[in-house]
Amino acid sequence: MSQIKIVTDSTAFLEKDVLERYDIEVVPLHVNFTGESILDGTIDSAAFFDKLKKSSTIPSTSQPSPGDFARIFKESIEEGKEIIAILISSGISGTVESAKTAAKMVDPSRISIIDSLSTSGGLAFLVSAAAQAAEEGKAREKIVALLEDLKNKLQVLFVPESLHYLKKGGRIGGAQALLGTILQIKPILFFSEGKIEVYEKVRTMKKALHRLADELPPASAGLQVAILTAEAEESTRMLKELVRKRLPDQPIKIYELSPVIATHVGPVVGLVFIKHTN
Amino acid sequence: MKQIDDDIVFLRGDDLRSMILEASRYFDAHKESINELNVFPVPDGDTGTNMSLTMKAAAGELQKIESLPIGEVAQVTAQSSLLGARGNSGVILAQLFRGIARGLSGKEVADLSEMGRAFQYGIVHAYNAVSKPVEGTILTVAREIAKGSREALQTSLSFIDLLRVAIDSGRKALEQTPELLPVLKEAGVVDAGGLGLIVFLEGCLQSMLKKAGREQDAAYPDRRTMLHVRDPVSTGEKKQAIVHDEEFNPDYPYCTEMLIKGECLTVHEIRRALERWGDSLIVAGGSPIVKVHIHTAHPGTVLETCLIYGTIHDIKIDNMIDQYQETRQDGAPEGGGESKVKKIPGAKPSVEERRLPGDMGVVTVSSGKGLEDIFISLGADKVVSGGQSMNPAVKDIAEAIMQIPAEKIIVLPNNSNIKLSAEQAAELIEKEIMVVDTNSIPQGLAALLALNRKKTLQENYASMCRRAGQVKSGEITYATRRAAIDNIRVEKGNIIGLSDGRLLVGKKTLKEAAIALVGKIIAAEDEILSLFYGQEVPVDEAQKLVKELHLRYPQLEIELQYGGQPLYYYLLLVE
Repeated sequence: MSQIKIVTDSTAFLEKDVLERYDIEVVPLHVNFTGESILDGTIDSAAFFDKLKKSSTIPSTSQPSPGDFARIFKESIEEGKEIIAILISSGISGTVESAKTAAKMVDPSRISIIDSLSTSGGLAFLVSAAAQAAEEGKAREKIVALLEDLKNKLQVLFVPESLHYLKKGGRIGGAQALLGTILQIKPILFFSEGKIEVYEKVRTMKKALHRLADELPPASAGLQVAILTAEAEESTRMLKELVRKRLPDQPIKIYELSPVIATHVGPVVGLVFIKHTN
Repeated sequence: MKQIDDDIVFLRGDDLRSMILEASRYFDAHKESINELNVFPVPDGDTGTNMSLTMKAAAGELQKIESLPIGEVAQVTAQSSLLGARGNSGVILAQLFRGIARGLSGKEVADLSEMGRAFQYGIVHAYNAVSKPVEGTILTVAREIAKGSREALQTSLSFIDLLRVAIDSGRKALEQTPELLPVLKEAGVVDAGGLGLIVFLEGCLQSMLKKAGREQDAAYPDRRTMLHVRDPVSTGEKKQAIVHDEEFNPDYPYCTEMLIKGECLTVHEIRRALERWGDSLIVAGGSPIVKVHIHTAHPGTVLETCLIYGTIHDIKIDNMIDQYQETRQDGAPEGGGESKVKKIPGAKPSVEERRLPGDMGVVTVSSGKGLEDIFISLGADKVVSGGQSMNPAVKDIAEAIMQIPAEKIIVLPNNSNIKLSAEQAAELIEKEIMVVDTNSIPQGLAALLALNRKKTLQENYASMCRRAGQVKSGEITYATRRAAIDNIRVEKGNIIGLSDGRLLVGKKTLKEAAIALVGKIIAAEDEILSLFYGQEVPVDEAQKLVKELHLRYPQLEIELQYGGQPLYYYLLLVE
């Protein structure tokens, strides 16, 4: 058993078997519907969107409290483990702050908090890489260095069907500028230094998907590619085909969005990959 | 004014001043006959009006001065006409004045040979203004005028004689323009800007005749028979700049010429890079070949600089002092004092003003409230009013550039006849400015979609050029006269459809024309059509058209937007 405990939050939305295999601890965010608060990650995407459509208001979301992190950190420290917590970008959530506060309360010398500058599939990439490195017995400093390197090479591009949800949720970042746009556009957004920014403005979903696929690096040994999706079956299918055409031998993961992220972005399709590998 | 047998052999400042004032009045009276010369029968920024307004800008300033040396009068003319220049022909005319001002710089009076030489400078400047000089335009006419008058200088005694020879040479060259520019020949006509230059000289001649107390000459008799001519610097194939027998500045003795071959040659950029290494600079052509000509003190540096852009070929370096000593028969050349138009420092951003991300601004040219709103919503900082109905003056664009509190500016002229004005405006302001070659409003919108303030000016320039070139655009307006172009026959008042500078349809009704034009433009791979309806089109009529198009093209997304543009019923953007 690894001496390093990997902690993440629910927005990574990792598959159960991965979580179990590496014994990854997930701290959930919350989605607050009127009169009902649900823990992120405890409900699947389809069921969530069903609920979302039935709700008269867009729910709010909230970050985990420092206490939520402190409890988990404490447990692992008491088991004699060190901790690496890899979390949703501080540019769109206060989760990293909560975790830092908790680390100070518990034992800052044995806990590393990594701001992923990303979320969803991007965060999932980092968590998986850290879990593997920990299993290989790498030291905490080594894994932290690996993550710092990796997160700068990570590219997360996505095309929301509408800017409606991002606007309501207030996490719109640089895409704010698009809200007044009179012409119909399908903006390609991306995470830039942890914030949502406009990558490119195209006019149709089909063009947007082609542009996403155009951004893929050439096939290489270390390349990882995943498609992000929420309520966008047709676009997801098309994007998968485009990626497969470009990278025929590349395994393509499909990551669904966690309810918290889906609340903020709405129906969306996206692409995550490592921009360049060494 | 000295006179020999009633003939004028010296010009003072006041003589030049009244000559230009008279020429401006004369030109204004004749501008309509030039306006009628338009290859496409569309309501457009007309050559005659553009040149007339350019001269009036100079006349307006000249009226405020008196008793100045000729060098200063020329300088005022150059500066004010450049700021007021409209359209390509206006800019070229202003550049001609600028070169003349340079030739007359520091002079109290000018004699015949000095005026002749000044005109040579004018030609060089006119060529410099144009990135792709096209033969068969105002440039050809200007060059032939210079050549004719140079020969006449050997024999002529007076300005009146000289002007007559100049006008004759110009008329001969004008008649040749259809042979040089196929589009003119097809329409069986001559070049409008070239005629404009001749009319200007006719005006100068009238002024001289008046002074000498002589009878006025008749105007060019055949003028009204020559119709249908386009503005210069259009789509001509020839891409060469020719300046023979040039004057030179002894500070820059090496005449250096070469061809640069490369994939992404930008004339504007190369010109900027070379500017400080000499004068008489000509950078002409476009990818894959650009011709460079410069008089310099450092030919080595010029070669190295050109190497940055591509491979260099046909290199020729001459020491003009040697050549001059071998061939020169009459007096030594003038030093040619620099009379560059003063640069206007850009407005420094003040604290109160909105801070622009990336310190980058966009100026665009458009008319109509709807289009203005759309441009602003896409990120334009300033919309200069103008376009098809009226081309903006250089100073309108320059002011917009200045007002934006950013040091890096992109200009979208959105009309081929505004591009030169935009480039001139860019040269006037001390900011880093790039003019994207957008030839229509739809192209301008497409280019603006590619704007990304996080990227550098150069990166944006490249992606905006690319994006503008990827879209298809269309325009629907009415025919201002009867015409037959590209096998399309139209009657005056017909509704016509154009795309990328070509006349594609001519129909009796707006609906027919719109449907026909969409049919010509749309291809199977197109996904979205944006339709911008003009101020004369009622919204319900536009909506009916959209319904009709939906039935015909069920796969196509159609977006209807209010453009509010005058004269043009619909603008189409297809991606």
